[in-house]
Amino acid sequence: MKKNFKRIFLPLCILLFSTTSWAQSKTVTGKILNDRGEAVMDASVIAKGTKIGTTSDHNGEFSLSVPATVNKLVITAINYNDAEVATSGSPLNVVLKTLAKDLTEVVVVGYGTQQVIKVSGAISTVKAAEIKKLNPVRLEEALQGNASGVTVIDGGSPGSKPTVLIRGIPSFSGTDPIVVIDGIPQTLDDLNAINPADIQSINVLKDAATTAIYGVKGGNGVIVVTTYTGRKNQKTEINVSGNYGIQQVAKKIGVLNASEYGAIVNEGSVAAGGKVIFPDLSVLGAGTNWQDEIFDKAPIQNYNVSARGGSDKMTYFVSGGYLDQDGIVGGGSKSNFKRTNATANLNFDLSSKLKLILNTSYANLKSQGVQENSFNSIIGSALNFDPTVPVYNSDTSVVGKYGYSNLLLSEIFNPLTKLDNTYNVSNGDKLYGKIELQYKIIKDLTLTTRFGYTDWNQTGKSFTPLVFYGPLNVENTMNADGSTISGKHNSVSENKNTDASFTSETFANYNFKINRDHNFETVVGISFAKSRGDAINASRQDVPFNSWTFADLTAATGTNTTTNPSAYSAGNSQYFRKNASYFGRVNYDYKSKYLASFIARRDGSYAFGPANKFADFYSGSLGWVASNEDFFKSDFINYLKVRGSYGTVGNENVSPQYVSISTGGPSYGGTANSNGYTFGNTFVPGSTVASYKNDGLAWEKQKQFNVGFDATFFKNKFSLSADYFDKRVSGLLFTPSVSLYLGTAAIPTANIGSTKSSGVDMTFGYNDKITRELSINSSLTFTTSTNLVTATNSDGTAIINGGSYFNGQSQNATRFQKGFTPGYFYGYKTDGLFQTQADVNNYTAISPVTKLPVVLQPNAQPGDIRYANTNGDTLLNAADQTKIGDPFPKFTMGWNVGLNFKGFDLSVFTYASIGNDVYRAYERNANYSNKFDGVLNRWTGAGSTNDARDPRYTFADVNSNIRVSDRYIEDGSFVKIKNIVLGYSLPQSLIKQSKAFNNVRVYAQVKNAYTFTKYSGFDPEVPGGILNTGVDRGEYPQARTYSVGIDLKF
Amino acid sequence: MKNSIKIISLFFFIIVFSSCKKWVEYNPHDDYQITDLDYLKSESDYRTMEVSVYSPLQWLNQDVVVSDIASDNAVAGGENASDVLNLQNIDDYRVTSDNGTLSDLWTSAYEGINRANYLTQYKDKNPSGETISFAGKDALYGEVYFLRAYYYFDLVKLFGDVPLFTDKRLGITDSRTLKRSPVADVYKQIELDLTNAIAVLPPTPSQPGRITKYAAQALLGKVYLYENKFDDAATMLENVVNGPFSLVPDFASIFLSSGENGPESVFEIQYSNLSPYYNWGGATRGQGNYAVQQCGIRGIQGTSSFAAGWSTNLPTQDLANAYSAGDQRKAATVLDIDKYITDNPSLFTGFSPSTDPGFANNPAYQVAPFKNTGLYDMKYQPRKGQTSGQVELNYLNNYRTIRFAGVLLMAAEANNRKSSPDDVKAKKYLNMVRERAFGDNAHDISATGTALTQAIWDERRLELAMEGDRFFDLVRTGQAATKISGFVKGKNEVFPIPQDEITISGLTQNPGY
Repeated sequence: MKKNFKRIFLPLCILLFSTTSWAQSKTVTGKILNDRGEAVMDASVIAKGTKIGTTSDHNGEFSLSVPATVNKLVITAINYNDAEVATSGSPLNVVLKTLAKDLTEVVVVGYGTQQVIKVSGAISTVKAAEIKKLNPVRLEEALQGNASGVTVIDGGSPGSKPTVLIRGIPSFSGTDPIVVIDGIPQTLDDLNAINPADIQSINVLKDAATTAIYGVKGGNGVIVVTTYTGRKNQKTEINVSGNYGIQQVAKKIGVLNASEYGAIVNEGSVAAGGKVIFPDLSVLGAGTNWQDEIFDKAPIQNYNVSARGGSDKMTYFVSGGYLDQDGIVGGGSKSNFKRTNATANLNFDLSSKLKLILNTSYANLKSQGVQENSFNSIIGSALNFDPTVPVYNSDTSVVGKYGYSNLLLSEIFNPLTKLDNTYNVSNGDKLYGKIELQYKIIKDLTLTTRFGYTDWNQTGKSFTPLVFYGPLNVENTMNADGSTISGKHNSVSENKNTDASFTSETFANYNFKINRDHNFETVVGISFAKSRGDAINASRQDVPFNSWTFADLTAATGTNTTTNPSAYSAGNSQYFRKNASYFGRVNYDYKSKYLASFIARRDGSYAFGPANKFADFYSGSLGWVASNEDFFKSDFINYLKVRGSYGTVGNENVSPQYVSISTGGPSYGGTANSNGYTFGNTFVPGSTVASYKNDGLAWEKQKQFNVGFDATFFKNKFSLSADYFDKRVSGLLFTPSVSLYLGTAAIPTANIGSTKSSGVDMTFGYNDKITRELSINSSLTFTTSTNLVTATNSDGTAIINGGSYFNGQSQNATRFQKGFTPGYFYGYKTDGLFQTQADVNNYTAISPVTKLPVVLQPNAQPGDIRYANTNGDTLLNAADQTKIGDPFPKFTMGWNVGLNFKGFDLSVFTYASIGNDVYRAYERNANYSNKFDGVLNRWTGAGSTNDARDPRYTFADVNSNIRVSDRYIEDGSFVKIKNIVLGYSLPQSLIKQSKAFNNVRVYAQVKNAYTFTKYSGFDPEVPGGILNTGVDRGEYPQARTYSVGIDLKF
Repeated sequence: MKNSIKIISLFFFIIVFSSCKKWVEYNPHDDYQITDLDYLKSESDYRTMEVSVYSPLQWLNQDVVVSDIASDNAVAGGENASDVLNLQNIDDYRVTSDNGTLSDLWTSAYEGINRANYLTQYKDKNPSGETISFAGKDALYGEVYFLRAYYYFDLVKLFGDVPLFTDKRLGITDSRTLKRSPVADVYKQIELDLTNAIAVLPPTPSQPGRITKYAAQALLGKVYLYENKFDDAATMLENVVNGPFSLVPDFASIFLSSGENGPESVFEIQYSNLSPYYNWGGATRGQGNYAVQQCGIRGIQGTSSFAAGWSTNLPTQDLANAYSAGDQRKAATVLDIDKYITDNPSLFTGFSPSTDPGFANNPAYQVAPFKNTGLYDMKYQPRKGQTSGQVELNYLNNYRTIRFAGVLLMAAEANNRKSSPDDVKAKKYLNMVRERAFGDNAHDISATGTALTQAIWDERRLELAMEGDRFFDLVRTGQAATKISGFVKGKNEVFPIPQDEITISGLTQNPGY
């Protein structure tokens, strides 16, 4: 019976039931929204108890045929709580609740990833969406104001490297953070080669808990860049985007017109006892404003195409990009940056245990540049050149297209003549990427070995033609008739640079659980790295026809003779660096509630002295997710994590030191320790000791303490992360001050200084849906740091001067010195103007010897600047120089607001930098150089003004009113509307009809829309590392860019 | 299987850990660098290294400028009062310890001393402990001793008491350890070095500019004069007076490039335009003479031989007035540019001698905007075609350090002031110089005693003006306070020790600074 039952009844039953299900299926449709009212795409919709399912589309909509017996759907989506809904009442409106804190979101940390919720260190993250909104040329732009704790000071020159500081200025010998692209260490300089459109996310590792895994290189923070990869079992998604814009200068500097210039030159000459230079001012008129002549409207265009997808065994992301930015100074023919990118990121599952990852990127960088950052650069010349000169030359007796000056006979030339004679080009190819094998030895134990490489080959060429600047000019190399001045030559220089680096790393990740709730993630590994470079350059005189067309070593004809030994010359240089490291990390959490992490790394560097080849670094961190506690019941706070970390990291920005012997002739090193001598007319090379050794050389040791919290509250609409950090560097690598009687051999760097930095990083977010159609997202970052040099050597006499510029005297405007902020402005404090001779005579100090008053500025005349006698002695001299400003901001803020309304999206990004000073160093102050409109307010007699910025004007500046002083300091605080984007996405209904596209978005963008600042120069953002930031020698200003673009998704 | 994995892993780790250490070892040879242990292993190494003991001589060209400007011979000129501030402060007797020109001179002289010391330190044994012997090694060290003496003499003249060391090239650990030695001790060392040099140096140079026995004797004679050891000076200088030197008839020709290393040259610091240099961070450290550019006329036009310069070292009218009529040295020393243009119109065709800058006319040159005297240093006037590369830094003009005429005047002074004066000889030497200057003996001096002393001193100014002796002569002879306005007795005899040596090395400062 039993047998029969099985044989007969079972098939019958199956037939019966299946027939029933066919007969009783139903279609359920619906729309999935999140708690902010936004459509949730790619959500999985499964009929409960079956395998029948689908996913939601772009509008969050789905349609699913289910058996009639099914009465519930299970809906799951990444970042959301699971939901079960009854099938009754189709179409359904499903609302998914956002996870308290994204449980699945991961950040890439060194040698692994970590769930955000389990991170107990300090990390700032910038995602692709933010980068995309900005359309940056370099990705640092996207960090500015978007990543708290990071200070970015951008420049305007196409493709130029900004100053990037992560958490203040802990070190002197280099402040660039390291950049890790898909696990491979690179440098900040390499960021000009990466296409921002390829980037999925940027994580900035800030505290010791996150950077210690990079040990001796982590001291300045780490920028971890993750590029896109493909996705398994996805059909190909193709993205195409294009952007075209016009850049223009946003502001011009007030200079004198020709009449004003003539009058002031006359006044200066007469005041110095000279003659009237321009007897008839009325003929001068307005003259030429050279700024109008050098600034051009310049296009910028950017195109990207990418495809990603994957099968079961293999995924891919391939992309190509092209960027072409012309410069606003001189236009595209003289100043530009062109980048071509190609990337292929491929992942293969070679077997169920073995995975191969091949990331390969190629970039070609082409650029041309103009002279920048000096009083006689193109911008400097435009500001300082004689305004009475007409743009074009009308003197038929001389060659030359542009006008010339009979007053400025050297140093400063017609900027157009200079621009016309600027010829250079740089062309570089970079190949970088990695080959990585991951082998899953057992479950949760993966062995990874990767080989990362960067190969950069660059060639450059520049041509210095023969030039005629004007009949009286003493720097002419060409006569007025176009012939060559005897003994002068044009010349062409070529250079080839090769830089290559590789990193070989092997590490094992083992993740395990003990008693279900104790989670461990561990990694141990080793790393070897080497970088090397070669640079070869050669130059040759006598280029045929004085023409760029023939500017090449092969065409130039110069040959060396005894009287001209440099007609054909070559030089080269090379370097290498090597590191070897072991590292390990344990991350632990208990029920995602209590978090702990410990990192150890041992680093060896080729650069350190024999006594200190290896350095050990440790860090630890703890975290507590309070909101996961059972007792934590708050409707207001949805999520709260408190965390703290402490540890050490290092800095190895130094080269090995030894006693070297150099042979040859003149030296171009820092101490100009030249060799050789001429006997009669024969130069004989010599040799001498060129450097000292320091066997005790070691790494800079940085101890960092961090405490912070992450919270979301009020239905997850608001989020707040805040961190306080305190960094202390000991063994700061610094050039000691030594007795001058040691001579001029190069002084070795030593571990003699210390610094401290502390500050707060904060990110505040707000996301909300205001109406069904209108949603808002906004974030505000706040970054502050205070920095102090606490020691340079035992007595503080080791000082580095920087910020050099020339205004008739060679000046230094900045210093790195014990007791002050790094790179502070150093000079005289002004104290108004002497109104009368009595003022001069009464400005005294009492001599401690004679008890009589001593006149402090005996050479001053009424109208000259009175300088503060800061040390109270009877001499007003260099010892009275003091801190007169600080180039680095007290705090910076970035504010992003995004609005979405139907198909429209609006995004506005505003960046503020508060408390940074700028030193105005573009004024040449020669007798006949042009002046700035401030001179119109100058002192003209007792009582006319007491503003030290406006002393009397005279050729004979006996008081040296041009010395470095706060006269030239301006408040460079600014608020910049950096970016405005208004986009419109075509409605899905329209797109679906076309069948070709998945998404179409058009947008218009304005970059650097407006700057609110009191600074009188072009742009208060003046990058330049520690010692040149804020020193405005005629900085290339950031352009205001108007652009339009389109994004297509297939 | 499992065991083999373990063994392989262990093996792997052993390789890795041992190679880690090797991986980060460093040998300077990896960077193609020569170290001290690689060097001084042959005669050629010694000879090459000795050449670079000469180099700092070239770096001291500002000695000449400082001495002119600090004295009554010249002013600092320039574009305005804040141009060449270091020189202006010296000119105006406002010099302070932070003067960059002076600290560069200090550092340069000490680099010379350290280079000389390195060679004397490894004379017997090189850094690897080997002895390298070769013919001419002693004579080579004669040059080294001379150079060390020259550098110390320079320091002692400028600064008075200075740190004195001769045993070795100082290392980093020697920083901040030295004290100033009394002038007398420094002079003692200078005498010793020069005496040792005289003993081994050849009478004729193997190459132009090489130090000879006569150069060492002349320098020692000069040192004795500075020490007021007139008997020793007279004896020592007599060797040079009786040497192979002669006065050239055409005084101006001495300072032309064709007059370099001529019959009158006892010692000349050599410069050339053959190694174009462009390092503004060490403007004095090339093979060219930077001081020449400072003497030039601003924006000079026309077809004369003069090239444009900076007008920051201008002779005074007082100096021009000191020459009597008929003295050929005046035109060869002081260039009155307006007069020159008027006298040579063909060289300035199309340019107006009038000195208005501007559009109305084509000025032949730009008047020195500050402290203009209308006069320029003819001896070291920059000339077209005599520089190269970065033109300001590469003038070929040798610095005529010790001329035979100077030796005669020193010998005259020594004979006049020695314990048993020989005024006949003194007059003879003095009048040799005057006869060349005037081309006759109608201007001979017949005075004796202190009147003769003054006549010799006055003659030194006329003969050696703009050659770097005037300030030191005025100090040495006690005339400074009366001849130089602003000079404070008891203070300005020496310049201030560079401020860094006060703050870093803890040296004492000279009185009054």
